Amino acid sequence: MSDLSGSDSGRYDAVAITLHWVTAAAILGLLMAGFVMTSLKPGSALQFQLYQWHKSVGITVAALALLRLAWRLRHRPPPLPGSMPRHEQLVAHLGHWALYALMLGLPLAGWAVVSTSPYNIPTILYGVVSLPHLPLPREANALAKLAHMTGAWILIVTLVGHVGAALRHHLVLRDAVMVRMLPRFRRD
Amino acid sequence: MNLAPTLALASTLLLAGQAGAAEWTVDAGKSRLGFIGTQSGSPFEGRFTRWSAHIDFDPANPTAGKAVVEIDMASADTGDKQKDESLPQSDWFDAKSFPQAKFEATSFRAKGPGAFEAVGSLSIRGIKKDVVLPFTLETSGASAHAKGRLDLIRTDYGIGQGPWKAADMVALGVAVVVDIEATRK
Repeated sequence: MSDLSGSDSGRYDAVAITLHWVTAAAILGLLMAGFVMTSLKPGSALQFQLYQWHKSVGITVAALALLRLAWRLRHRPPPLPGSMPRHEQLVAHLGHWALYALMLGLPLAGWAVVSTSPYNIPTILYGVVSLPHLPLPREANALAKLAHMTGAWILIVTLVGHVGAALRHHLVLRDAVMVRMLPRFRRD
Repeated sequence: MNLAPTLALASTLLLAGQAGAAEWTVDAGKSRLGFIGTQSGSPFEGRFTRWSAHIDFDPANPTAGKAVVEIDMASADTGDKQKDESLPQSDWFDAKSFPQAKFEATSFRAKGPGAFEAVGSLSIRGIKKDVVLPFTLETSGASAHAKGRLDLIRTDYGIGQGPWKAADMVALGVAVVVDIEATRK
């Protein structure tokens, strides 16, 4: 039923697929670490380590998102199947752009939280590279925290939609929309 | 030895910088001015890489001795980039406003064989407190090796502002560890 011509032209390229799954793993880790570290007893060594890890990985996700956008400009993603209704295509595009906005906006909000925190803890990415604080007043801390937390929940909702839509394409509509983002381990 | 009180008086009257009877040259390469703190229950060590000491101390006549140690507070080095970036900042040492800490011993006390106390004051972040630094001393010929440890409450000196005034993450108890090798001038 696929109207995709050729076996390869409908797939994302290897770079896009790699970046997608690396980002996916990082985001899942970030969400888990985020909820665990904010519920741990303040001051524990585990909590401190999780915060440092969360900051490093969060900034990495923002960098990866920029890389993906740059790659996307030069390597157009495969088109959605023509069989998809217009409004579904629109929702798919909106969802993807929302994910890009979140992949950039959430780390930025997190960076703002760190930069305005009364603890004033330097960010050393992976213990190696110093990331300066954003020049923001301490008073912006509550707002930055609210934005980061709200963003996290919007991300969760968007991700549930993203994964749900991919599974619907694969299991219900039985088209190649999900498969084209799956890594292919054997040549055929 | 009835010369001792005279010497003591003389050295007290002497202006700083003038050679006394028992001055020492610190071997910076072999000496260490360190500190121990505790973060989230785990102790960590660091040291100051820039400091200077003027020591005038005769083990046979400790009460006449005196010493001044000046520490560049921007030179704290723990080997951990995060701590090294934090420590000079205003929440901690505030090295910009208070570049120097100063330990000043105005006299010494003998506490037993090879054991002494340096009695004086410590100023950090512009806060001066009376302190007593116990140390052991081993001498051989013209050289000496002194080891001491001074336990402090960091908040007595304003080290740790804002939420850091609490001990949640960084313990209030810290130690300054002195390990000095010196030769008689």
